[in-house]
Parts: sequence; C-alpha cells; structure tokens
Amino acid sequence: MSDPFKPRPAFAPWDRRELPGLFDVEESARRVGAYKWIETRLFEALGGWIATVPELDVKMILGRHCYHHAWHAELFDKRLPELREMNTDRLCAPANDAMEEFVEALREPDAPELTIEKLVGVFRVLIPRKIAAYTFHLNGTSRVTDAPTERSLEFILQDEWNDWREGEMLLQSLIDTPEELERAIRRQHELEAIVVRAGGITGLGTIGATTEVEGAGV
Amino acid sequence: MRKQLPPEMLARDSRFVRTSIMDQILDPRNRKISERTIGPAKLAPGRPASADRARNLMHGIFTGEIQALEGAGRTAFDFDETEAPFALKLDMARQCWDEARHVEISIKLGEWMGTEIGEFTEATFLYEAACAPDPVLRLCGVNRALEGLAIDVFNTMKEFGDVSGDPVLEFCEDWMLADEVTHVKMGSDWLRRLTADDPERRERALDFQRTVDKLFSLGGFRGETEENPIHLARKMREMAGFSTTEIDEIAELSELARAEGQAAVEAAGSA
Repeated sequence: MSDPFKPRPAFAPWDRRELPGLFDVEESARRVGAYKWIETRLFEALGGWIATVPELDVKMILGRHCYHHAWHAELFDKRLPELREMNTDRLCAPANDAMEEFVEALREPDAPELTIEKLVGVFRVLIPRKIAAYTFHLNGTSRVTDAPTERSLEFILQDEWNDWREGEMLLQSLIDTPEELERAIRRQHELEAIVVRAGGITGLGTIGATTEVEGAGV
Repeated sequence: MRKQLPPEMLARDSRFVRTSIMDQILDPRNRKISERTIGPAKLAPGRPASADRARNLMHGIFTGEIQALEGAGRTAFDFDETEAPFALKLDMARQCWDEARHVEISIKLGEWMGTEIGEFTEATFLYEAACAPDPVLRLCGVNRALEGLAIDVFNTMKEFGDVSGDPVLEFCEDWMLADEVTHVKMGSDWLRRLTADDPERRERALDFQRTVDKLFSLGGFRGETEENPIHLARKMREMAGFSTTEIDEIAELSELARAEGQAAVEAAGSA
C-alpha cells in the first residue's frame, strides 16, 4: 500500500493547463457581455420567426433552438457579476455599429416564403461565427483562472455544433432548385459582408486577428 | 421582422384548414346534434363516437400546441426588456421548447390514434390571446387561462386513456400535464412580479383571464358534470397554484358559458 503522506505533485502529469491566459478579467467580461447580447438577440429572433415559417419541422426546431440560445444567454448573464460586472446590462451590448447592423439585417426577413433566408442567416453565418469566437476564447483563456467561463463555453459549444448540424441539414433539405441555391448564396454574402466589417461577434480581434477593418464603427 | 404578428399571418402549410370558433359554435347542425339522446358528453370508451371525438380533440390539442409555441416565441420577441424582463424572456424561450415537444407528441399521438394532420380544422383563438399588447395580459390569457385549460384537457384525456386501455395516450398526456402545471405556475409568478406595484394593471390582466376562461368554456365544453366533455382538474390546478376560490370562479364561468352557448345554438337554429 502506498504511503498517503508521501508528497505528490500538485498537478497530475496529464494536467497541462497554464498561466496566464490571453484575457484579463476586463477583457473576458467584455467578450462575455457581447456573447450574452448576441445570444439574446438570436433567441428573440428564433422565437419571433416560429409563427412566420409554414414548414412544420422548421417551426418545431426553431422552438427548441430558441431555448438553447436563451440558456446560453442565461449562462453568460450569470458569469458577468463573477467577472466584476455588477451591472450586467452595461456590457450586454453589440461590439460595434456594424454588429448591430448585422443583427438588424439577420432578423429582417418576415414573410413565410423566406425560410431559406432566415435559416441561412442563423446557420451559415451567425452560428459559425459564434463557434469561432467561443473556440478562440476557450483556447486562449487561462483554464485555471477563467475556468467557470471555460466550463460554460464547453457546454455551449456542444449545443452550437449540434444546432449548426441540424440547421445545415434543414437548409440542404430546403434548397432544391438553382433559384433557391442562388437565394441562399446571396443571403449569405449580404450578411457575411456586414459581419466581416464588424470583425466578428466581439469586434476586432474576435478570433485573434487585430487588423483594423474599415467601416466597423468602433 | 415586424412586431405584433396578427393571427391571420400565422404561417401554415397546405394541409391546414382554418375556421372561426364562432362558426363552429353557431353551426346550425349543432342543435340537431344536441337534440339526439346519446348519453352524457363526457369521453367514455363505451360510446360509439368516443374514438372520433378523441381524435378530434387530439387534433385540437395539436393545433393549440402549435399556437402556444408561436405565442411564447412572439412574447420573447415582441417586447424590449423594459416591458418584458430578461428573465421573463428566458421563461418564454423555455416554454417554446416545451411547446415544441408537445407539438411533436401531439403529431405522434395523432398518428397513433389514426388521425392525419389537417383532418380537422384549426381555429386561432389560442394565438389571439397571445396577441395582447401588454405581456402581463398575455401571461394571464395564455399561461393562466389557456395553459390552465390544457391542464383540464390533458387530465381528461389521460383518464380517457386509462379507462379505454390506451397506455400510450395515458403516458403522453401525463408528461404534457407536468409541463402545463409548470407553465401555469410561471404565469402566476410573473403576474405577481410584474404587477406588484400596479394593482390596476393586475386587475386588467385578471379580467382578460376571465374573458379567455369564459370563451374557452363556450357551449359547455368545460365543466364539472357529465355533460361537459372536458372536466375541471381541481387537484392539478391546485398544484399549479390556483386557489379554491379561483377554481370555483372558473366553474361558475363555465356554467354561465354553457347556458349562453345553449341559448346561442337555439337562436341560430330558429333563425
């Protein structure tokens, strides 16, 4: 039997977590506030669209995904005071004017014939951008000091991957003709153009690149 | 996307056929049906029409769940956070998920019972209650009145599943019943929180709830006698936070609505 009083390393050999991370408390809070803002705008839009899509399967999936993103917003909301942001509304804001413009454009389609446009905005533009931003945060933050954010991001990313896959499959099942394909490409191009100007969901440096983008409105 | 989507703009595929609740109630054929001596209206397996009536009711539940899903989604979208706090929006999003599951369950149960989507008509009165301009009115009209009615409906269907030997029906209704109790509690909780300092707003919301409760009891649809297809589920309603006084009031409204509905049918028949 081994001696229980024999000193052991504080960290197991397989624990490769390191100090420090890329973000200080303030930067982590700023990003989490932007995440809460985008998740909130997204779950509101999905909720609003449910009544506007005639496809029954899409209607039900939007209802399910609406809750997923609301839960993400709730996790980020709870994290903000732990990052010394007691007024959680202060940091719950778009990263810049272009990001606000992007969300306005994303939520604009209303008519029942525009299901492809609605879904392209969410599943081919916004969710891939969120996956990128959350993955960068996860990989860049200190997994020791910012472990609570890391844990939330792990759960959230799992949802994002699953929802993206389901949304992409919905789109593939809806796009049957060259005209529908053209609509999807056009819509993706319109929205990507705005989000490129925004620099991503947390603005410039969302995934580490720091090149200034003209027209972001920062 | 526009705020405040009117009921006529609800998007449906080509299988759905829309009708008006008043057209259904004032259908002159109802008088002839009511004159037939076919025993109590309560769902009972021994009655020849019970299977068809249960399928009709199941389809009504299905379309009601779609509208509840749409209504919760709209409440998450239509208001900013000064009108509907963030936590309320989170609850509405949660309700979207619950209602989406109920739609799924209803479709599968409908298939199990031998019904196709669109076999029966859809009236949009549930969604209409979710179009009120004040979120508190929506919570009273939908979460307290209509989700309360859903408690009565699901409890009745669960009992029908039990007595008719349909364990699938009983199982599904039991699960949906659990969610509805949660939704009613959610409505009661937000009513208290949002109107704590505004008794007039609270009274307006409760008035709206009474109107919706009465509308949904039209023609004796809900009540406590053998003549009512849907029975008031007192025990489940108590679990959801309704007081005995509130339940008694719904019972009285239901009886009043039954008498008014009867008079309307007679008037339509003699016209």
